[in-house]
Amino acid sequence: MPEPTVLVTDLAFGLLLGCVFAVIAHGLNLIWGVAKVVNVAHGEFIMLGAYGAYFLNLWFGFNPLLSAPVDAAIGLGVGVLFYFGFLHRELRGKESIGLQSEMVTLVSTFGLALLIGNLALLLFSPNFVGIPWSPGFVRVGFLQLPLGALYVGVASVAIIALSHVFLSRTYLGNAIRAYSQDIPATQLMGINPTSVAAIGTALGFSITMAGGALLSVWLPTGIHPTMAALYAPISFVIVVLGGPGKMWGSLVGGISLAVIIDVGQAFVGLSLATAIAFLTLIPILLFRPEGILR
Amino acid sequence: MKLPKLPVYGPSLWGLGGSLLLLGGVAPWIPVFPLIILVNLLIFAALAYSLNLITGLTGYVNFGHVVFMAVGAYSLGYSVETLRWHPLGGVALGALTALVVSLGIGAVTLRFRGVYFAIASLVTPLAGLNIVLVLPALDDGQGIVLNPAFEPLSWFYTIWIIIAAEVGLTYWITHGRLGYGIRAIKSDEDAAKSLGVNAPHLKLFLFALSGLFAGAAGGVYAWTTSGVFPYAAFDLTFSLLMLAMIVIGGMGTLLGPMIGAVIVNLLSRFFLAIFIGTQFIIIGLVVIVIALFIPEGIVGTLRKYVPELRRILE
Amino acid sequence: MSPTLEASGIHKYFGGVKAVQGVSLTLGGGRIVGLIGPNGSGKSTLLNVLAGVEKPTKGTVTVDGRRVDRWPAHRMVGLGIAKTHQIPKPFLAMTGRENVAVAMMYGRRREAEPAAALEESLRILALVGLEGRADTPASNLSVQQRKRLEFARALATGASLLLLDEIFAGLSPEELRDAISLFTRVQKELGFGALVVEHVMQAVMTLSDHVVVIEEGRKIAEGSPKEVVENPAVIEAYLGTEATDAAP
Repeated sequence: MPEPTVLVTDLAFGLLLGCVFAVIAHGLNLIWGVAKVVNVAHGEFIMLGAYGAYFLNLWFGFNPLLSAPVDAAIGLGVGVLFYFGFLHRELRGKESIGLQSEMVTLVSTFGLALLIGNLALLLFSPNFVGIPWSPGFVRVGFLQLPLGALYVGVASVAIIALSHVFLSRTYLGNAIRAYSQDIPATQLMGINPTSVAAIGTALGFSITMAGGALLSVWLPTGIHPTMAALYAPISFVIVVLGGPGKMWGSLVGGISLAVIIDVGQAFVGLSLATAIAFLTLIPILLFRPEGILR
Repeated sequence: MKLPKLPVYGPSLWGLGGSLLLLGGVAPWIPVFPLIILVNLLIFAALAYSLNLITGLTGYVNFGHVVFMAVGAYSLGYSVETLRWHPLGGVALGALTALVVSLGIGAVTLRFRGVYFAIASLVTPLAGLNIVLVLPALDDGQGIVLNPAFEPLSWFYTIWIIIAAEVGLTYWITHGRLGYGIRAIKSDEDAAKSLGVNAPHLKLFLFALSGLFAGAAGGVYAWTTSGVFPYAAFDLTFSLLMLAMIVIGGMGTLLGPMIGAVIVNLLSRFFLAIFIGTQFIIIGLVVIVIALFIPEGIVGTLRKYVPELRRILE
Repeated sequence: MSPTLEASGIHKYFGGVKAVQGVSLTLGGGRIVGLIGPNGSGKSTLLNVLAGVEKPTKGTVTVDGRRVDRWPAHRMVGLGIAKTHQIPKPFLAMTGRENVAVAMMYGRRREAEPAAALEESLRILALVGLEGRADTPASNLSVQQRKRLEFARALATGASLLLLDEIFAGLSPEELRDAISLFTRVQKELGFGALVVEHVMQAVMTLSDHVVVIEEGRKIAEGSPKEVVENPAVIEAYLGTEATDAAP
């Protein structure tokens, strides 16, 4: 039985990491809600976000907090491209996505994942890289928390809160939410479904890439094209845990997952804790597919 | 010119079966280097056929297919290294263990529809990898190194039998009553159930078969590469390659997996020679283009747009 | 020949929504039972429970004395009970013939040879007047034709008790007349029993031997078509207009 201080530290770290997890999952949540399909290449875009932060740091000395908005801007453009490249043909004018379209998108985005992932392996250094940014620590009782992790944790919650405000308080945001629930109704309201879907997707990608930038703080030696293979499933599991389409679900799911892994590894080691964390997907899908949140 | 109606079996089966028989006949005379390449191709074709049985036929995209391959590989490794069995026994064990594992996984995950099944399947290799890493029986993830004899001809005939079985089984399934039930499930699972199709059973049956063959092929793979290592065994790249093969060839078709395996293999070798790493980029690009523009793959699309070929090509 | 289905005290809740609250009814013996009620009264849900698509939250369903409330839909087909869908669900990529053949191969008859099933399908398609469309993909069929195909498939399962979900909906007066006479003709020839969930009063009143009325998940009236039409509770439930249109 590990020491209580160790457990509390793990809990705290899990909480902070979970917030960042939540952001990368939130992007997926948005795209899923709007496009009704999963982007298998999601991990690759997180990775691109992290590399974005890395290069911005290398060339201009930006710290990840500064890189995040830049990544977000890039993500908007990427998202629009993705929408018109992959989704528009399948979704155009349809009321709901069919089984065949679902499969097409699953397979085509998986091809995209292969493409981007290996392109990254080719273009970027094969070494694991990281961003040397360490603004110091803060003591809270016996806890020694890295300020970098604290800052990005706060930034993450801010991003999710902002997106929540946008989606529920602005006209465009509500249009996006309406679209993700009922396409014909959106058309009846005089909203162009293509614009809404494209913008919704763009927003999703933007948040994803910003999330990648923030995540880089937790990976001082871990930025590498293969990270996509880890963070894609993490994002998927989080979205399912929190509930697809539920706005705060990403936060709940992200924190839950990170805490399970961080606290769990003190008991059963990292490998088993990770396996268990991923396998929570199964009981959730079986018994509570809408997610933990009511 | 009207082709004569071939008795009972279709032209595609004759063509494929005949080619396989021919290969089997001349194998002892094939020089070593091409034989090894052929064995490698056939292993991937066998994997493609196994994935075809579930993803190709039912449309349930199984990203986690590599788990069965890994189970097969580990079974071979364990039985040869620790139990001192002959590799053929190891392959059989691989098939059996993979069958059991697939029944277990399928019983749970096949309840999920479409996207959720795909996600659950994406998660299984990661969970599997982490579990294997802590299993004491498998040296806590150290990997197993084998020292088998170099027997390309034995490898060849083993994988040959596996493929022959798969091709025959695929043909039998798609041409009989089961074929209609499967098409019904793929088209509209709820409607199929309302007509008496026991969808859960049928899906599990196919899933288990796919696991069985993937396990056998994985065993042969471990045999030819004389080693099993956790990160390599559970590498998602395998799943991706298998998926690429059936997408390119044509999901659910008889010839598709073979055609896809040949193409992917050729592309791999060609671009690997140019620059390492480029082969996956090209394969990824090809998959995107095919998925977006000709989702039925080569065989499927030819059948769709060239009616004369419909009787021959399947 | 026709199984007797007894539903007793059926409740079906979806979370907080109580779709069906304590409904009991008996089906079988070649009788046509109509099930009517205002929108959202729980008719389709009840039908789905009887068909095995949904499991009842409370209550039992028995067929010839055997409890089947936990049975899945495909097992119910084995007992001779088949349902049709409110919005037809044909196998779009398959031809009309193949659609019906699936039913023959997996229904009660379990035809093992696809060739034989495809041959026999023509006979069933002829019964519903679709023999001319036997070899066109189902995606090319009109709504009315799809409804007929849906009906043909259910018949092809060899069912002796059909659960029909709004099979007469969305038809023009002429199409409705044809559909009703088709149904009568086929029913006379094959002798199946049916539960006809309907909004279209004309169809229900013409065809039913017995009518059950539900509102907000509860049975509010039951009896011959004439009795039901004159029942004040029923009239009130429908606010009067539709019930008086029910003259056959």
